[in-house]
Amino acid sequence: MFNFRKKAPLLMLLLLSIAITACSGNNGNTGSNASAENNSKAEAPENKTITVSWPRDIGPMNPHVYNPSQLIAQSMVYEPLVNYTDGGEVVPFLAESWTISEDGKTYSFKIRQNVKFSDGTAFNATIAKKNFDAVMKHVENHSWLGFISLLDKTEAVDEYTFNIVLKQAYYPTLQELSVIRPVRFLGEAGFPEDGDTSKGVKEPVGTGPWMLSDYKTDEYAEFTRNPNYWGEQPKIDKVVFKIIPDGDTRVLAFEKGELDLIYGEGAISMDAFLQLQANPDYATQISSPVATRQLVMNTTNAALSDKNVRLALQHGFNKEAMVQGVTSGLEEKADSLLSANFPYAQSNPAPLGYDVEKAKAYLDEAGWMLPDGKSVREKDGKPLEVELIYEKADQIIKPMAETLQAEWAAIGVKLNITGIELTEQVKRFRAGQFDLYFFSNYGAPYDPSSFFHIVAEKSFGIAEALANLPMKSELDKQVEEALVTTDENKRKALFDAIQTTLHEEGALVPVSYIKKTVVYNNKISGFAFPGSRDDNPFSSIAINP
Amino acid sequence: MGGFIGKRLLAVIPIFFFATLLAFLLIQLSPVDPAEAYLTAAHIHPTEELLEQKRHEFGLDQPLFVQYAQTIMKMCRLDFGTSYISNEPVWQEIALRMPATLQLAFSSIALAVIVSIPIGFLAAVYKNSVFDHLSRVLAYVGASIPQFWLGYLLIYFFSVKLDLLPVQGRGSWAHLVLPSLTLALGLIAIYSRLLRASVLEQLQEPYVLYARTRGIKEKIILVKHVLKIAISPMLTGLGMNLGKLLAGTIITEEVFSWPGFGRYFIEAIFNRDIPVIQAYVLISACLFIVCNLIIDLLQMYLDPRISWKGRSSH
Repeated sequence: MFNFRKKAPLLMLLLLSIAITACSGNNGNTGSNASAENNSKAEAPENKTITVSWPRDIGPMNPHVYNPSQLIAQSMVYEPLVNYTDGGEVVPFLAESWTISEDGKTYSFKIRQNVKFSDGTAFNATIAKKNFDAVMKHVENHSWLGFISLLDKTEAVDEYTFNIVLKQAYYPTLQELSVIRPVRFLGEAGFPEDGDTSKGVKEPVGTGPWMLSDYKTDEYAEFTRNPNYWGEQPKIDKVVFKIIPDGDTRVLAFEKGELDLIYGEGAISMDAFLQLQANPDYATQISSPVATRQLVMNTTNAALSDKNVRLALQHGFNKEAMVQGVTSGLEEKADSLLSANFPYAQSNPAPLGYDVEKAKAYLDEAGWMLPDGKSVREKDGKPLEVELIYEKADQIIKPMAETLQAEWAAIGVKLNITGIELTEQVKRFRAGQFDLYFFSNYGAPYDPSSFFHIVAEKSFGIAEALANLPMKSELDKQVEEALVTTDENKRKALFDAIQTTLHEEGALVPVSYIKKTVVYNNKISGFAFPGSRDDNPFSSIAINP
Repeated sequence: MGGFIGKRLLAVIPIFFFATLLAFLLIQLSPVDPAEAYLTAAHIHPTEELLEQKRHEFGLDQPLFVQYAQTIMKMCRLDFGTSYISNEPVWQEIALRMPATLQLAFSSIALAVIVSIPIGFLAAVYKNSVFDHLSRVLAYVGASIPQFWLGYLLIYFFSVKLDLLPVQGRGSWAHLVLPSLTLALGLIAIYSRLLRASVLEQLQEPYVLYARTRGIKEKIILVKHVLKIAISPMLTGLGMNLGKLLAGTIITEEVFSWPGFGRYFIEAIFNRDIPVIQAYVLISACLFIVCNLIIDLLQMYLDPRISWKGRSSH
């Protein structure tokens, strides 16, 4: 027979495992994790909780820094002075009104008087200034935001008057003030002793409708209603984020009822979305366009510097079929660089349609001829060969690139597609070390100003790609002028002219309009996509009785 | 025995230098600049000035030798530095995720051992029986099925269809079942075959024949003598697998949203979070050494013919 002494090692292993299981069940970061155990099925109907998934941990909830804090979570707790609504209108938020000086440099905000942070302390001009001071301590980190690099000073004029003074006029200031970070407001209790929030915050105290009530790294985060909220209270009591990094697991968790809603760009695969859409027990929605997927042709490449080659490539592929085929209709074919729901979007540009014969004629005109017995066109003995770089994990760009490869082969153009790692890809794009690249603009509230800004400003990749356009310096001047002018009509005319030039030159090819998707169960009603791309949608959601 | 353990622990020192140097050199070979990766991840536009400032902050503007020496010095003081991404001490970040990884590793190993010992042992004892054939099928399935697919299948049947267990997350014992089973099935396939082969080999040994001629009961021969010796190759495999599991099981953690070490490390690689990568490599190497040492000691305990001076003659 076995005696106990001999079996001891195996038993020890087993006991160790059980002990760890028992011990590690409640080593939460804050509070008990019992509440997160409740999935939506377990919730009593009167407890108005919804459970959603998010691919990454919500991060340290610091309103003044970026990664790894998640925008959606930051947007629930922290609020801006002004808000961006669908269609591009900027509306009052923590500031109930504002005036802009004639020279366009001073923005004076009247702060709403009844606003309190979640700990009950008042929001006023002093704390607004303290937040801006913390941000400006590391101004170099935020220079991507145009108005911050132009910021001269901020002033707490009186308790409820807050001034932002710029070094020069900059029209997108209000749009940029509505972004989620770094210009939203942390309460006094969240500041470290030295006021430098770049090293961390003490606690996430904001004026938003939600408060972080429980959290466990990489597992879950719970947000409950802020009892001191100044605006209309959310219709639900609690939002639980479950951190689920894998898209397929998200779908399975949703089907089982562990999740009520799946939201976010690329949260689940297109196939999974279509499968859930076909199920009558679930509701799905697709947003209006949030950004434009564009194909950037680098004009510094010898072949692509020729406008005829660029136009040939545009005519040489069936955009509609490609977008429909690759995205199963979840993206929409784009014919202009900005979709119609963005301010200053150009209306009705003459689209460059699919026309193989026209494409061949353009290439012939450019001197790229097809030698007998060869499949790739040549000019001065050199083949017409270009490279497209893409992030190898991207599930949409890869099939699109393969489609282009096949379509352009038919007109005698050889396309090499190279999948590389994200960081390397971004680095090469910014340095202009590419022939072709799929880019998408930033979306609301950043666009159109951010998009026009990078047409002129180097080191973002777009200006580098456009460098060989004959009218590039003229374009740059138009952009600069449009961003600073206080004359609205003049700005509109300038933005129209810029879009017309970009369209005619064909170096930036609009491919598709990216849209967001959401899937939810029949417990939820009142879902509406937020106006801003990174904002949260939870304020409008209600739970069916 | 003390000397043996001491000697084995001393082996950690060269492995420490080798592992840290290898990790350091591999990071240097990567075309991605960690300062740029940091800024990209942080959504900060990387201007030349900012890149230089970050490189200086991370110590990346120092000569390579100095960078390596500084890393080593810090590690000797058990200071793994601060994560570039979270700005938190790496050790604290790892410690936060360690319990989840330990829990999953030990439960999978325990499950694999508990299941594979009877299967392997009985398959050998009842060689060519239906049970043996079934165990072979299980081994083939277990060894060939991809882990991520198995994970999804288990979730689909046990969670979505039968509603018996949660799909994902960590908390109660129920959360542990499916990820442990996913990891254990592959191990069960290997261990049960290893044990079966080893038991069959032992059954050919003269001591089994002598025992039988002495009239000792078959059950006692098999359990007390054969199994005790035959388990040795399986324990060696166990040592290697335990090290691997403790270093994180990336795919399973991803599929089951298990908040462990592996997921954290993968993100660190994409973000070129050098302090995390270096700490991970070092900790993984140490875990392998310690696991193998424990298994060696266990083997010596079970089979006294193996001594710390080397195998003695029979």
